[in-house]
Amino acid sequence: MSPEVAAAAERLGEQGLLSPAQRALFARVARGELVSVYRELRLALYAGILVAMAGVGLLVKENLARLGPLAVATALALAAAACLAWVQRRSPAFSWREAASPHLAFEYVLLLGVLLAGADLAYVEARFTPLGPAWPWHLLAMAIVAGVLAVRYDSRIVFSLALSTFAAWRGVSVVLLEKAFWSGSDPASSLRANAVGVGGAFLLLGAALVRLDRKAHFEPVAVHAGWILVLGALASGLGGRSPAGDLGLLLAGGGVAAFAFRRARFSLFVLGVLAAYVALSALFLRIDPGFTGGSLWFALTSLAVLGGLLGVHRRLRPA
Amino acid sequence: MRPDGAEADRRREVRAAARGWRRASAIDDATLAAIRASYPDDRGRLGPAFRSLAFVFTALALNAAFFFVIAVADPRGDAVGILALAFGIVLCALTEVQIGLLKRAEGGIEAATAFVGIAYVIGAAGWLMNEAQMPERTLVPAVLALAAALLAAAAARWGMPLCAALAAGAFFLLLARSPAGRPFWIAAAAAAPLLVIVGDSPRLPPVHRRSCQAALAVALLAFYAAFNLWSWDHAFVESLGPGRAPALKDSSLRPLAMAGTVLIPTAALAFGIRSRRRLFLDLGVVLAVASLVTLRFYVHMAPLWLILTAGGSAAILGSLAIRRFLDSGAGRERRGFTAEPLFEDLSRQGALETAAALASAPSARRVPAEDRSFTSGGGRFGGGGATGEY
Repeated sequence: MSPEVAAAAERLGEQGLLSPAQRALFARVARGELVSVYRELRLALYAGILVAMAGVGLLVKENLARLGPLAVATALALAAAACLAWVQRRSPAFSWREAASPHLAFEYVLLLGVLLAGADLAYVEARFTPLGPAWPWHLLAMAIVAGVLAVRYDSRIVFSLALSTFAAWRGVSVVLLEKAFWSGSDPASSLRANAVGVGGAFLLLGAALVRLDRKAHFEPVAVHAGWILVLGALASGLGGRSPAGDLGLLLAGGGVAAFAFRRARFSLFVLGVLAAYVALSALFLRIDPGFTGGSLWFALTSLAVLGGLLGVHRRLRPA
Repeated sequence: MRPDGAEADRRREVRAAARGWRRASAIDDATLAAIRASYPDDRGRLGPAFRSLAFVFTALALNAAFFFVIAVADPRGDAVGILALAFGIVLCALTEVQIGLLKRAEGGIEAATAFVGIAYVIGAAGWLMNEAQMPERTLVPAVLALAAALLAAAAARWGMPLCAALAAGAFFLLLARSPAGRPFWIAAAAAAPLLVIVGDSPRLPPVHRRSCQAALAVALLAFYAAFNLWSWDHAFVESLGPGRAPALKDSSLRPLAMAGTVLIPTAALAFGIRSRRRLFLDLGVVLAVASLVTLRFYVHMAPLWLILTAGGSAAILGSLAIRRFLDSGAGRERRGFTAEPLFEDLSRQGALETAAALASAPSARRVPAEDRSFTSGGGRFGGGGATGEY
């Protein structure tokens, strides 16, 4: 409810800036006489899918012996197929451009179908071990399936799931990096190299999507995931014996910030600035400045960053 | 709040609504520009990214500066508290200057000086009281009372709804420390209708109305917590107080808790539907879920997997049924509700959903340092927060 907006709608209508229909609708919404529950319905759908998937996971785990492996695998496959069939029936014709969602539940049912298919594949792999020691390849298979479905049905949520599944296949996940980072242990260099490699691949994918004008609206997902992986991998090596990792993070963070600023990608800009600042501070702390020196460093450098931000913002405003 | 700040806030509300109209293509760029010209903004604001960075670096700079002074001056005893108190007061004054004279709003810096300043004043007061050997049973309520008062004053003067919510939280924690904490919670939450009325008043600027809503949300949660059966049986409210929590399980008033667990979410939902108030609708749903979880805690009517699967399916089917019901009404609405998005900014929710799917990756394959072979260990798959292990 907003009396200001209701009054403004009336005033703008009298001035002729709004048509009578616009004026009536805007004033009605502002007075709280018409309320949208679209956001709540989407949230309920998403939460419902997560809760239902958790239930399915428990069902399989607790009733494995009673139900029998074939029954479980078949039931999961049927449920996934039902979801995907519903999606296929509702979906508009394929387009490389962004497509309007044909139904409120469209993307969520697709997500449920992909999750069920993934659960089924993981279950079959675990139970029947068709891949043997090469079991992680089922993650790659799932990443590809999710990616194809995301492109076909134009779903950014499923596309992000495809990317994270691909990263998992390469032995990398955000969760794992986080654990490595907070535990203070130096993770295997292969893990860090994997993360940087996968992050770089995501960045290239994002660039290709835009360059080829194929699902270009997926680019922010790929680019964000890519930079998070790259910066996270470099940050996990902070404070190691060699300052090379700190320098790498400083360069990468600064590069992201500059790139993001030029492209007006402000969420990436935040990421880059924070990464560069953390790296710079880690480099400074290598000289062991003590409590006083450390406090002075953080006070002065924070103020310097703040001044820089305000200066940069002032330059942005006329544009 | 200063009159010029209140006026700026009212204009901001109209400009924000106009952005929503444009986003939904309900108006064109020329109309948006005309509305912006009719409702000019005289405040210095930053966008969300710059604002969050400004907040983080201001808070870091302020704390680091204080610790530097402490490290150099090496004060002892009361001097630390006095220094922190002075620092907090200076920061509050700085906030006043920024919001008043410098006309800053939504800039991150003034929010950081406000929050850090209030935190230092509260912390310093606690430190000084502790140095003065004040017993804990007096010290904690005094600090909570001070926090509630300062945060409420900040919400009123500087227009910060988060301060209003924190003030309400501190107030309820203060009440919980009294011998009759639970009745006090119920009595205090009975002021909710007043907050509803005040929160609708067109005489208040939008940010104060939002502050009332924030306080109202905390009051409703406290009211529910006072009645919830699990909270009753586990003496949750009493456990927040200083003494030993009494056993309430055998109390003759227990049926009241049972009734409250059922009726409060129902009443919140009914009031939300009747009055078309989103806060009550959303809280009603959240409290209903809390009541169902409470029910499950006491009554094992079915295995957990069935409850989760049925609950998730019910949420999905219920959402679809509501959407269908609303869409089938005249003008795709019923009783003033619609399932159409109207003029809201949904990009943030979409981004959150995408981020959730991205962050909750399947469990990663660990790359072994030396042993390059893998053994078949099964997989785990999930997304958007869901996982399944085999």
